[in-house]
Order: sequence, then C-alpha cells, then structure tokens
Amino acid sequence: MGKLGKKIAAADNVATVLTKCDAGDQIVVKFNEQEESYLCSQDVPFGHKIAITDILKENKIIKYGKEIGSARVDIKKGEWVHTHNVKDDYLCLDKQGNPLPGQEA
Amino acid sequence: MKFYGYPRPDGSVGSRNYVALIPVVGCVNNICAHLEKLIRGTKALKHDQGCLHPAQDTDQVTRTLINMGKNPNVGAALLVSLGCEMVDAEKVYEGIKETGKPVDMVVTHEIGGMIDTLAKGARIAVDMVADTSAVRREEFGLDKLIFGTKCGSSDTTSGLSSNLVVGDVCRRMTEKGGRFIQGEICDIMGGEYELKKLCHNPEEGEKIIDYVRDLYLRGYAVGADVRGSQMTAGNMAGGLTTLVEKALGANAKGGTVPIQGTLDYADLPPDDPGRYIMNFPGHGFENLTGSAAGGAVIHLFTTGRGAPNGHPIMPTIKICGNANTNKTMSEHIDVDVASVIEGTESVEAAGERLYRFAVDVANGKMTKCEILNHEGMEILIKGPVM
Repeated sequence: MGKLGKKIAAADNVATVLTKCDAGDQIVVKFNEQEESYLCSQDVPFGHKIAITDILKENKIIKYGKEIGSARVDIKKGEWVHTHNVKDDYLCLDKQGNPLPGQEA
Repeated sequence: MKFYGYPRPDGSVGSRNYVALIPVVGCVNNICAHLEKLIRGTKALKHDQGCLHPAQDTDQVTRTLINMGKNPNVGAALLVSLGCEMVDAEKVYEGIKETGKPVDMVVTHEIGGMIDTLAKGARIAVDMVADTSAVRREEFGLDKLIFGTKCGSSDTTSGLSSNLVVGDVCRRMTEKGGRFIQGEICDIMGGEYELKKLCHNPEEGEKIIDYVRDLYLRGYAVGADVRGSQMTAGNMAGGLTTLVEKALGANAKGGTVPIQGTLDYADLPPDDPGRYIMNFPGHGFENLTGSAAGGAVIHLFTTGRGAPNGHPIMPTIKICGNANTNKTMSEHIDVDVASVIEGTESVEAAGERLYRFAVDVANGKMTKCEILNHEGMEILIKGPVM
C-alpha cells in the first residue's frame, strides 16, 4: 500500500500528493476506478505535485485538465513538479492580446 | 428545499434580523460601537471610510452604505453622521428608505457630542429593536436566497476539496433559483479566460478580463507586478506552482455554473438566478462587505490554514478540507470536508451535506464566526486617501 496522490482530470500529467512523500515511496493514484502506482524519485512535501508521465522541456503541465505552466527542463515520471522546473506562462494581456507593460515573459 | 427567512417590505428575505447601526463616516465608529454594546439586537457596521476621498470613492462608499442598509438581514437602520463628512448622509438615508424599512439618523454636530448622540441614538434603537424583533420567519423558496463565496488562507486542499464542494452547492442552489456572488479579482487572475467561457454574454466576460487588467495596472502604477504579489510564499510552500493553477482552484468555488453577469463593487445583482462576478479584492474585510452589500444573506467561505473572520451582518460558514486545520482550528470551522481529500466521501456527498448546513444557517443556525463574535468589515476604496 503506497501513499495517496490525487489526479483531478483525465488529461492531467501531474498528481498532488496527499501526504509528505520520500524518495522511493510508491504513490497510488486512483482515477475513474483505475489505480496506478508511481515511484516517487524525490522527497515531495504535502500538497505538492509529481509528474505522472515524462514531460519534455517546454511542454505544458496539465492540472484540472488545463495548462497551468510549462516545463523548464525535461521532467521524468515520478519527479517533483514545482517552481524549480515549471515556468509560469501567465501574462496579463491588453484587448489586442499584447502584454501590458512591466511583465518579463 | 425551502428556507425560513425574515420577509422585508421590498420583497427581499433575510436570514437574520438586525437593527444596523451605520456610521456614515469612520469618525463616529465609537458611537456605533457603544450603542451596539448597550442595545441588544443591534450590529455596528464599523468602517474607516466616508471622507477625504476622490469623488469616485465617495460614490462607492455611499453606494456601499446604502446597500448595507438594504441587505435583507437588516430589519431597520440607524445612521450616525458626524455632520461634516464627504458622504451625503441624507442620500444614504433616502437610499435605504426606498426599501420601506424603518430608517432614522442622528447627527453628532447637531446634537453636540458623543454622549448626547448616544442617548438620542439609544432611544431610537430601543424602539427599532422592539419593532424589528416582532418580524416572524416565513417559508420561502431558495430563489429568495443570495449568498457569497470566497476562499481565504487557502492551501493545496482548497482546490482539491472545499472549493469543489462549494462549487457543487452553487450548482444546487442556482438550480433552485438562487443567486450567488463571487469575485476576488486577484484570485481570478490567471483564470479569467476560463470564466469568460462560462458567461452567457461575451461582453460580460470581457468585463471580467477588464477587472483583471485594472488590478494589474493599478499595481503597475505603483511599480508592482501583482502577478508576483498574488502568488504568496505560503501558496508556494503549500504546493501551488503557478498563477493559473491557483486561479483554477479558486474558480472551482463556482463550479461550472454559468455566469449571468458582472457587478461593480457593492452593487446589487439583477433578479435572474445564477452566478455573478463582483469586482472586489480577495482581502476578507472589503470582500465580505462587497457580498453583503450585494444582498448576500449567508456566505460560503473556504479555508485551508484557517481564516477566522466573518462579517457583522452576514453569517459566514467556514469550510475546510485540511484535516490538521480541522483539528487545530476546530472552533473556527463549521464544515469539515477533509473526507473528500481522503477519498472517503465524494464531492457530491459533501456538497449535499454543506447544502443542508447552509440552509440550516439561513434558517437561523449560528456559524462559528457568529458564536465567537469574530467579525469585521471595511469598504473598498480605489483612489488616494487625501
């Protein structure tokens, strides 16, 4: 019996761990009656995310079925996914779709 | 599902039955505070605004005070004016009077000082409470119920449990004809395009995006990038990685309920049932006041780490999915939904539980905020303080 992870939408490539996890733990993720297990390769704090697929650099991180950011580096299945390896792509845009001033992409 | 509420002469229905003591300007807060202690059944709506604002903020404060008095949880209102404030006290008086509810006013400069104002105000308030307390609860459909939602002191459990449960209740309530107010433009930032998709009218969706742009530009004007301020160290320590991730979790409080329209701060929603996005901040005091001014008579407030605050006239229900907080902050939490995170209860089952709890509160059950007297309010202003 591993520790629990939570996946929210079918398309998600990350799951949130529901307890603090250590490298080597098995993370069990249930979704739509299906259960999958992932080997956690790093220590991950409670409430943080692990990759449940390999995510290549610049590919999108998907949670809630939506794009929440993009990978700064290649991320392997089972790795901790957070600000160190994810870029926040959000820009506040004007009506023409151009970034408002003061934002570094 | 029905609820038992207090009928008001304008057709609105309250969940509480207070005499509101409304300072027209913050300078007379103390008088209202003394009156509240003296006279049972009253609530002092203390705030720090009402003077030395640009005209736009004077208008906003005036509208807020009127709509606080119009809130269906208020059975009668006593205004306390200093006599020299920028807000036009007569306008506030006339605005509340439109509802047909009893309204009166005492003006400190005319009466001469706090002590005589207290004496005169107290006699008026005694009569108001005597009359207001005779109003009896009657049965109404949920189409008469307006509520607010927000999240505060959020953590990773909010987007995975409590916000989803509130989203489920929003669906149930609006299916019965209810209306709810959501806002927290800072939390919408990153999820504004998703909300636009839920708008019946694309122009209303564009207004939501304008609220976000306005917030961004107000930060930029003082040299701040609010995108960074919005992702707090606590959010990131709690596992939130990006603004979009935070926004999607926050937006879940309304589920996928379609959006009827947008509301300026403290404005009243039209009669159409459904979801309304109000231009208010995440900060609890101004935020809860916005919902209450919008006519909300109960409020669904999710928390992860344990936000304790409520509002003087709007019962505020605290919903928490963090099992640790539910233990350490138990006297502040009304509904524990940690079971959703643990996988032992579905979102729908917890939603049914919260739905019934919310109707109980509308019927008179007291919330932890009420029991603890943990309440406060403030009015949002946007311009400089002179």
